[in-house]
Amino acid sequence: MGLREVLTPFTVWKHVFDDPVTIKQPIGRPAAERYRGFHQNDLDTCIGCGTCEAICQNGAIDMVAVAGYDPEKGNSGLKPQIDYGRCCWCALCVDVCMTGSLTMSNEYTWVDTDPDAFRFVPGLEEPWKDDEEGYEREGKRVLSGIERIHMEEMEPEARIGNFDEIVAGYSRAEAILEADRCVECGLCVATCPAHMSIPDYIAAVRDQDYDRGLQLLYETNPFSEVCGRVCTHKCEGSCAALHEGDPIAIRWLKRHIIDEVPFDRRIELIGQPAEPTGRKVAIIGAGPAGLTAAFDLARAGHGVVVYEALAHAGGMMRYGIPEYRLPYDALDRDIGVIEAMGVEIRTNCRVGRDVTMDELRRDHDAVVLTIGLHMGRSTRVPGTEGAGVEKAVDLLRRITDGEKVPLAEQIVVIGGGNVAMDIARSMARLQKAEFGKVGITLTALEDIDHFLADPEEVVESREEGVKIFDARGPQEVMRDAEGKVTGLRTWRVKSIFDAEGRFAPAYDQSDERVHAGSMVIEAIGQAADTSLLGAALTEALEWNRGRIKIDTAFRTSEPWLFAAGDAVKGPDVISAVADGHRVARTVMEKLAAREVAQ
Amino acid sequence: MSETNKAKLTGKATVREIFETATEFEKVAHRFYTELIPNVSKDIRWLVEELAEEELEHVELFTNLSKNPEVDAIMAAEIARPVADGKFSDCVHTPDLGPNPDDQAVLQYALMRESAAMDQYTELAQSTPAGPLKDAFVFLANEETKHKAELEKIYYETVHSGGV
Amino acid sequence: MFSFKPDRSQYPAPGPDGKLQIDLETGKYLKLWQGPNHPGITGNMSVELTVCGDEVVEGKTHVGYLHRGFEKLMERRTFIQVFPIVCRVCVPEPDFNEYCYAAAVEDLAGIEAPEYAQWMRTLILEMGRFNSYMMFLGGIGGALGLGITGQWMTYVRDLMLDRFEELTGARIYHMFILPGGVRGHLPEGFEGRMEEVLDTAERYLADIDRVMFSNSVFKTRTKGVGVIDPALFEPYGVTGPNARAGGVAKDLRKDSPYLVYDQLDFEVATATDSDIFARATVRRADVQTSIDLIRQILKKMPKTGPAMAKIPNVLHWKIPRGETYIKGECSRGEYGYYLVTDGTGYPRRINVRGPSYTHAMALLEHLIPGTNISDVAALMVSLHTYPPEIER
Repeated sequence: MGLREVLTPFTVWKHVFDDPVTIKQPIGRPAAERYRGFHQNDLDTCIGCGTCEAICQNGAIDMVAVAGYDPEKGNSGLKPQIDYGRCCWCALCVDVCMTGSLTMSNEYTWVDTDPDAFRFVPGLEEPWKDDEEGYEREGKRVLSGIERIHMEEMEPEARIGNFDEIVAGYSRAEAILEADRCVECGLCVATCPAHMSIPDYIAAVRDQDYDRGLQLLYETNPFSEVCGRVCTHKCEGSCAALHEGDPIAIRWLKRHIIDEVPFDRRIELIGQPAEPTGRKVAIIGAGPAGLTAAFDLARAGHGVVVYEALAHAGGMMRYGIPEYRLPYDALDRDIGVIEAMGVEIRTNCRVGRDVTMDELRRDHDAVVLTIGLHMGRSTRVPGTEGAGVEKAVDLLRRITDGEKVPLAEQIVVIGGGNVAMDIARSMARLQKAEFGKVGITLTALEDIDHFLADPEEVVESREEGVKIFDARGPQEVMRDAEGKVTGLRTWRVKSIFDAEGRFAPAYDQSDERVHAGSMVIEAIGQAADTSLLGAALTEALEWNRGRIKIDTAFRTSEPWLFAAGDAVKGPDVISAVADGHRVARTVMEKLAAREVAQ
Repeated sequence: MSETNKAKLTGKATVREIFETATEFEKVAHRFYTELIPNVSKDIRWLVEELAEEELEHVELFTNLSKNPEVDAIMAAEIARPVADGKFSDCVHTPDLGPNPDDQAVLQYALMRESAAMDQYTELAQSTPAGPLKDAFVFLANEETKHKAELEKIYYETVHSGGV
Repeated sequence: MFSFKPDRSQYPAPGPDGKLQIDLETGKYLKLWQGPNHPGITGNMSVELTVCGDEVVEGKTHVGYLHRGFEKLMERRTFIQVFPIVCRVCVPEPDFNEYCYAAAVEDLAGIEAPEYAQWMRTLILEMGRFNSYMMFLGGIGGALGLGITGQWMTYVRDLMLDRFEELTGARIYHMFILPGGVRGHLPEGFEGRMEEVLDTAERYLADIDRVMFSNSVFKTRTKGVGVIDPALFEPYGVTGPNARAGGVAKDLRKDSPYLVYDQLDFEVATATDSDIFARATVRRADVQTSIDLIRQILKKMPKTGPAMAKIPNVLHWKIPRGETYIKGECSRGEYGYYLVTDGTGYPRRINVRGPSYTHAMALLEHLIPGTNISDVAALMVSLHTYPPEIER
C-alpha cells in the first residue's frame, strides 16, 4: 500500500469546479413525451364501456354519470372517474380502452390541500386535458382482439344457382376465438330490443357450456335459430369493439350456441310449462311477435291457440325471408320448441273468413293481434297498373309456397331495404336456374351510404350479379304499344332527407334514366291488412296515424284486445320478439287481475 | 268569345276573378275532405281530418278578406294571370277517389292539390299590388309550401316504409 | 495497519449446536439493533447484533418490515392485473420481475414474444442492471463513510432513469414488459442520448476507480473482510457476483442464455478473494459489461418490427394447467419466477426466487460473528441485497 493509493483519491477534487447537477426547480420540470402522468379522456369519443374500470387492478376507476353526457345507442353516458390515491399509473386502462379516448398527459406534479381533489373525472376541466404530450398506446389496442373470426360462406358462384343456406356457422374453435374478443361491457344489451344477455351467453361459448348458453337465450328469445341467422343485429352496431376493429359477431355466436344444442335437449333444458291455469288466449298471426307471446303465455300455463291464415307458421320469417338466409328447418325447430310448450297453431285459418273476431272474443279470455305487414305498397307511378309489375312480398310468399312465379330475363327492382335485396337475390337465383344468367337492376331512393338494407346484403347482392343504382326516384313504368313493360324511368335524387332526418326527396329532373327490363318489382314498403277486424271493430278501435292505437303495454282501446309486432310497431324480428314478451306480460297481468277480482 | 276566355288569352284577369276562383278552390277542398271523412276507413281518417281542418282555415281567411273594404276597392283591377292558373282552376272539380280510398290515394290527391295551390299563390303574391290581399297571398303561398312539404314527408313515411 | 483481529478466546465456547452460549446478565455483552432505520442497512430490514466491545459475536436478521403479500395478492389478480404488481417486488431493479413474469406466462400460454421485444427486453434488463450497480457502488462507499460515491452514482443513475422515462414512460416502475412483448418502440434519437449517458457514466466510474478502488482506506477496510468460503456457495445458495467474487464463473446469461444474450459478446467477470473488495471489483467490472452490452444491443437490435405478439383478450385470459420456472441473471444473482396455473383466469401460485432472500438472511447471519461493528454495514452492502425482494 503505497503513497499513490493515499493521494490518488484526491484527484477527484477537480469536481469542485463543476456546476451542480441537481435540478433547482423540480416542480414544473417537464416529463418525457410518453410519460404516464395524470389521465386525459376525450369525453366525446369515450363510450362509457367501463373496460378501463374492469382492468384496473387497484379499483381506482369508477364509471360515473357526468352532466351533459346522456346515454345513447352504443354509449352508456358514463365516464371514468379516477382515484389517484389508488392509481398505480400502469396505464392498462389506456391500453385496453376500446375507443382510444383514454390517454395520459405527462403532468405529474400537482399540489393540493384537498385530498378529494385527487379523485376526478378526466376530461372535464383539468388544465392538462388538451395537452398533446403524455402516454398513448402505440397503434391500435392489443389487449383484446380486433379482427372478427371469419365466417365461412358459400362463394357467389356456388350459391347463385340454388336456395341453399349461404352461411356455414362457426366451428367450436372459431366460436371460442370470436367469443374471446368480447369485453363484456354490455352496451349491446341496452341496444337489443329484447335485451338478450349477450355478454353472458358469449361467456358461455368461451366456457363451452352450451346448456347454460341455451338457457340464457331462451330467457329472452325463443327465436334464436332465426335471430342467429337473420337478426338485424343492432347490438353489433353498438359493440364497443367496432371502434378500432370489427364488432363481435354476436349474431353468429348466438347461432353457434343453438347449433350446438340438439332439439330434444333444448326442450329438456327449458323444462315443462307451469300447471294449466284454465285461461285461454287467442293469438292472431303466427309470426315472431305472436309466437313469442304464445311461448310466454304457454310457459305460464295458459291455453294458447294461434290462428294463422297461411299454410305454415312463421309469418314473415317464413314468407318474407328467403331460404338461403333462413332455412325452413331452422325455423321449424324454433317453432317446434314453442309447440312443445303446448301452444296450438291452427294454420290455414284466416280470421274474418274461417273464424270471426267475435268468436275469438267469446271463446277466449284475451285476444292478441300480431298480424304483421303483409300488404305490399306500390309507388303508383304511371304504368304500375297491369301485368309485368309485381310486389315483392307477394312474390316472396309465392316462392315459399313453391309456386311458379312470373320471371323475366331482365328485371327491375324498386327499393333499397332488405325486402328489395331478398326479392332481387331470390329472382336472381330463379333467373340463373331458368336462363343460366342473372339480369337484375335495383333502384333505390336512398344513396348507397343510407341504404336501409344491411350492408352485407348489399355486398352479397352485388356479388350475385345484382346491379344497384342508388339515389334514383321512380317516375314511370315504361310500356310499349302492346302494354308490355319495357323498363323503369327514374330521376336522380338530389337529397332524400330533410334536416330532421325525415323523408323529403328532391329530384334532379335533368338526370333521367330508363332502366330496361320486362318486369318491375316494387319493394318499397308494406302495410298491415286490417280488414280482418271488420267494419264495426275498425270503427270501435282507436287509431294512431294509420295504426291501431296501443299504449306502452300494448293494450288497444278495447279491453279484450291486444296488439303487437310489425303491424303496430315494427320493424324487425327481434323487435317483434321483444313486443311479444311485453304483450304476453300485459295479458298475464290482466288475467291475474281478473283472478283476484273473482 | 266570353270575357273570361278573352282575359285568358290576354294573360290578364281581374282581381275579382282570381279572388273568386281561390275562394272556390278552398271551399271545394274543404267540402271534399269533409265529405270524404266518413267514406274512408277509420284507420286513415286522421289524415283526411287533418286535411279538412287546414282547408277550413283558408276558407275563413277568404271570407274575412271579402268583407275588407280595402280588398273590395281593388276588385276590378287587372293583374297578370298566373301560369299555374289552369291547373289550379281544374282543382275546383274534385276527383272521384272511389268508394273507400286508401291513405296513398288520398295523399296523392292532396299532394297534387297543394302543389297547384303553392304555384298559384306564389305567383299571385308577386303580382298583386301591396295591401291586405297581397299579404293574404304571401301568407297562403307560405302555408301551401309548408303543407306540401309536410305531406310529402307523410307520403314517403307511409308508403316508402323502407322495404323492411 | 487498520485491520481488525478478533480474539475469540475471551468468549464462551460454542455449545453442542454450534451456537454461542451468551448470558446477557453478565454485563459483558450488549444487544444492538442496526436498522430498520439506519444508514448502514440495505433498506427496510434490521440486524440484531450481540456485541462484546466493538466485536460482533452474533447477528440475527429481522425482516418483515416491508412485507406486502405480493405472492398472495397475485393469486387474486387476473394474469394481466399481475403485470402492474410484479415490478414492485423489487424497487431498485424492478424490470427482472416484469421479464420473469411475462416469460413465465408466455411459456405456459404458448406465446412467443416477437424478436423486437426480445431485444428490447434485453436492453431494459441491462439498463436496470446498470442502475442497480449504481446503487451498489454508491452504497458501498457510503457504508464506509465515502459519501461522494453515493452522490455521483445517484446522479448517473438519474441520467439512466431519464432514459427509462423517455422509453417506458416511467422512472422507477417501468411497467413496460407485458406478457406477449413490450409496450412500445425506441423513441427517436434514443441511441444518441443513451450514448451521452454511458459516456458520462464512464467518466464518473473512472473517478470511482480513483476515489474508491485506488483508495488505501477503502482497500484496507474491505480486503480480507467478509470473506465467504466458496464451500458455502452451494449450501447457502450463493449466486451472482457474490459467487463470482469467489472464483465461480457462473452467469445465467452465459450458462443458460435467455432473450438474446447468445447473440451478444461479453465476458463474465470474476475475482478470487471472495471478500468485500473482490465483490466490489466484480460489480465494477459488471457495470462496464452492462455499458458495453447496452451499446451492442442498440447497434444490433432490429429497428422495426412488432412489439407485441397476438395475445388473447386479457379480460378473460385463462391459462391451461401447468407450471414453469423462469430464471435470469439479475445484478444480485439468480432471479426466478415459479408460476403454477390451474386453467382458470388467475395464477394458482407465484413464487418469486430473489437472491437477496439467501444472501441477506442466512448468509449474513453466518458471516457476521467475528466482525467489527463498523464493518457490518460494509459487509451487508457488499452482499448487495434488497429487502423488498426478500419479502414478497
